[in-house]
Amino acid sequence: MNFSELRTVDGLSLPDEHRALLRPGEPSANGTDIVRHLPRFFFEVPSWSDAKETRIAQHFRLSELTMVDCRESDLLLQGFPHYVPCAIAVLARYLEDFRIEAGASIYVAANGGYRSPAHQFHGPANTHHWATAADIYRVGDTYLNDAKSIEKYRRVAESLGSEVFAKPYCEGDDHLHFDVGFLALTPRTGSETG
Amino acid sequence: MTTEPAGKTEMWRAELERIARDGKASAFALVLHDFETGLHFAIDDRKQFHAASTIKVAVLFALLRAIDEGRLRADAPLHVRNRFYSAVDGALFRVDPESDGYPQLYRSIGRTAKIIDLAEWMIVSSSNLATNLLLDLVGVEYATKVLRDAEVHGIALRRGVDDELAFERGFNNEVTAEGLFQLFAALRGDVLSKQSRERAIHILLGQRFTSMIPAGLPAHASVAHKTGEISTVCHDAGIIYLPEREPYILAVLTESTAEGERRRETIARISEAIYKLAIQREVAST
Repeated sequence: MNFSELRTVDGLSLPDEHRALLRPGEPSANGTDIVRHLPRFFFEVPSWSDAKETRIAQHFRLSELTMVDCRESDLLLQGFPHYVPCAIAVLARYLEDFRIEAGASIYVAANGGYRSPAHQFHGPANTHHWATAADIYRVGDTYLNDAKSIEKYRRVAESLGSEVFAKPYCEGDDHLHFDVGFLALTPRTGSETG
Repeated sequence: MTTEPAGKTEMWRAELERIARDGKASAFALVLHDFETGLHFAIDDRKQFHAASTIKVAVLFALLRAIDEGRLRADAPLHVRNRFYSAVDGALFRVDPESDGYPQLYRSIGRTAKIIDLAEWMIVSSSNLATNLLLDLVGVEYATKVLRDAEVHGIALRRGVDDELAFERGFNNEVTAEGLFQLFAALRGDVLSKQSRERAIHILLGQRFTSMIPAGLPAHASVAHKTGEISTVCHDAGIIYLPEREPYILAVLTESTAEGERRRETIARISEAIYKLAIQREVAST
């Protein structure tokens, strides 16, 4: 399936059970007084095989950025179609650039791309809920599980532009967190009324 | 429960303690429970030992109970990562692939593995990484509650494995021979659904490490068991199936400074002695 063939949907038109989990357009607090609105528009992914076949960028398939584990709600883990915020396309473009600068393949961890606000990784609203973050656990043959490797690729990531955030190493980290901010994307056919 | 004449069990005790002494075991405990005759025979069955990898059976039990309760699905994916929090101060630690019975699992770091596959690797190959992933998932508190609800006492499940900081501070998982007997009895009892019970036994029958209890038995015996070894202790416990009779549970726990092969051989000899003294005699008389 071509990426361009994926249908875009307004999350507000989804069935109640999906809306309760995805919370399209709802305000989400981050534990302080900062409030952001969760993504409202989604790509509709008909099946997991479609996710595995669909290239979202030259070297990234949709499945690589949407793989979650049993901590995701059952409906979103097992049920299809899946709904993925449209901004994932932007993330994939940045990861493609990161791959070029790093000169090696980029591996995103399970639970490390898009995860819904219903995912059991609790905590404040974060860029993973916007599909604009990737937890990179491996670059080429290098596992990012120490200060040296994480700092090396953090500098590469941040060289892409000031809009890219790459989290500095903290004791025990086993990945590099990479994100492009709280970016929501409205498709050309989408309307934000209602 | 039946009891053997005191003189006979004293003779058994003397023989088993002699084997343990020969094997340089500084402490030794045992429970035999025979479902064919109701015989329950114990030596120092309330003595607490470091659990080593026998604690993985408690994790399996809790995991299957969580599946039965609909908290988890057996075939659901779980993120494989080597990053855990110490039970004593929350410090991050990683388990050592070099001492893991299933090093292949480390190739899946970053990806996912099915919960039921992790359960199998935890038991069959004694994977420390699989154990900690599953215990993190179900939680120590939940697992402890499952044991308590099943009236399994004598199993103190406190933390994951390979938590060196906790070990240094003496904060360990502990078992008694009676506790392991109760755990295996619960596994074949009605706490778990039929499907989970069969899963548990199937996994335990696949045990790779067979140089202890199974080594002392005739070739036609099948053993659903779990071993546990660290520098100071060597244990094996499980359910022994013989086609001609009902199964029996045997738990053998030792503390020993002897080198690995010798202390395993000691447990094999104890298993053989139990079979000859208490089981074969029944087989012969039926």
